[in-house]
Amino acid sequence: MFSSIGNPRQAAAQLMNFGLILSTAFMMWKGLSIITDSPSPIVVVLSGSMEPAFQRGDLLLLWNRNIQAETSVGEVVVYNVKDKDIPIVHRIVRKFGTGPNAKLLTKGDNNLSDDTELYAKGQDFLVRKDIIGSVVGFIPYVGYITIMLSEHPWLKTVMLGIMGLMVVLQRE
Amino acid sequence: MAVSQERITVYNLADLKNTSDDAIPNYLNSLKFTQSHRLTDVRLSLGFSAFTLAAACFLWDYKFGFESTKLYTGVAVTIYTLLNGLLTYWIFYVEKGTIYEGTAPSGEKIKISTSTPKKTVPEYHLSIEIEPPKKAKGGKKESFVIIRPFTEWFDAAGHFVVAPFQGMLAQSISVVGKADPKRAAPPAGAVDQPPVYSPEMLAALADAQVSVVGSAAETATTGSDAAKKAAAKRRKA
Repeated sequence: MFSSIGNPRQAAAQLMNFGLILSTAFMMWKGLSIITDSPSPIVVVLSGSMEPAFQRGDLLLLWNRNIQAETSVGEVVVYNVKDKDIPIVHRIVRKFGTGPNAKLLTKGDNNLSDDTELYAKGQDFLVRKDIIGSVVGFIPYVGYITIMLSEHPWLKTVMLGIMGLMVVLQRE
Repeated sequence: MAVSQERITVYNLADLKNTSDDAIPNYLNSLKFTQSHRLTDVRLSLGFSAFTLAAACFLWDYKFGFESTKLYTGVAVTIYTLLNGLLTYWIFYVEKGTIYEGTAPSGEKIKISTSTPKKTVPEYHLSIEIEPPKKAKGGKKESFVIIRPFTEWFDAAGHFVVAPFQGMLAQSISVVGKADPKRAAPPAGAVDQPPVYSPEMLAALADAQVSVVGSAAETATTGSDAAKKAAAKRRKA
């Protein structure tokens, strides 16, 4: 089981295999970020403010490049409020002007009022660079795993531990 | 007879292979073979440089954010993909399951790669390449394959038995036999005569539905292993 400990090369190889699993996952994520030009190309819906389109736990796929047309009214976008790192999924309902400085207003389909209250102090509208992507696809329910993991942080430790053990103990 | 303290699960093919793989360098190095770690070292340096790159990428991404480091991240992702592709290529097309590379005391270069191609057949496949020393002109590169069942050097409890394993290597690989003449000669007394089975006896065994694997075989038929071995030998002959 731990016979490899006596052999430094074998131990290094096992460590490398474990490291490569982690780094490959990370680099795939970063690769996707680069392709979609979005710092977070996959997000999980955390609230019901976009029901019935998206439910809590849906996984959204984002695209943040304006190749054919500008981001405009009707698109569901994910944005970050200034100085806050919580991505919000809402729909663009108003747009004034064009180009990177166009003023955008968003609103959740299931909310009574628009998002002006959610924005930071002194921020009355969004601009293009606040947006981290438009929703181009979704997978229902899958994101619930991450909601569980963030609501019960000890699950993360358990999962990492099990994965690490499996790699160390098994040498296929 | 030397028997390992450690026990493995005899039904786990990966365990059987790994234990045997580990035994080969131990044996050959004890015979004053000089092991070359070239293949492993290249694999390790490819893997660790890829990992280091990813770690660096993680750090700058964490510190400076996505937007300001986009270009570097893009380059890092490309290089990482290349390194990983190279690593995969190295493992599948260059190493090809090589577990030992080295030089015999007599100067020959030897390369041993192993595999277990059939997932349900516990047979050890060894591909051996022997290259004569550079000085000896006219020597030809020699390569051959040995296929042996693991039952020859694992007992029913999962202990690795050293003597038959080393004997197998010394008898089938000339270079190893030269370095270890004691093992190369078949042990006196231990005659390789398999017990003779009559067709009636085999039919009776089949009727009793005795499985040749599993614990039933251990208790019910101590001879069935020998019979299987004999069958394997006959197949090869």
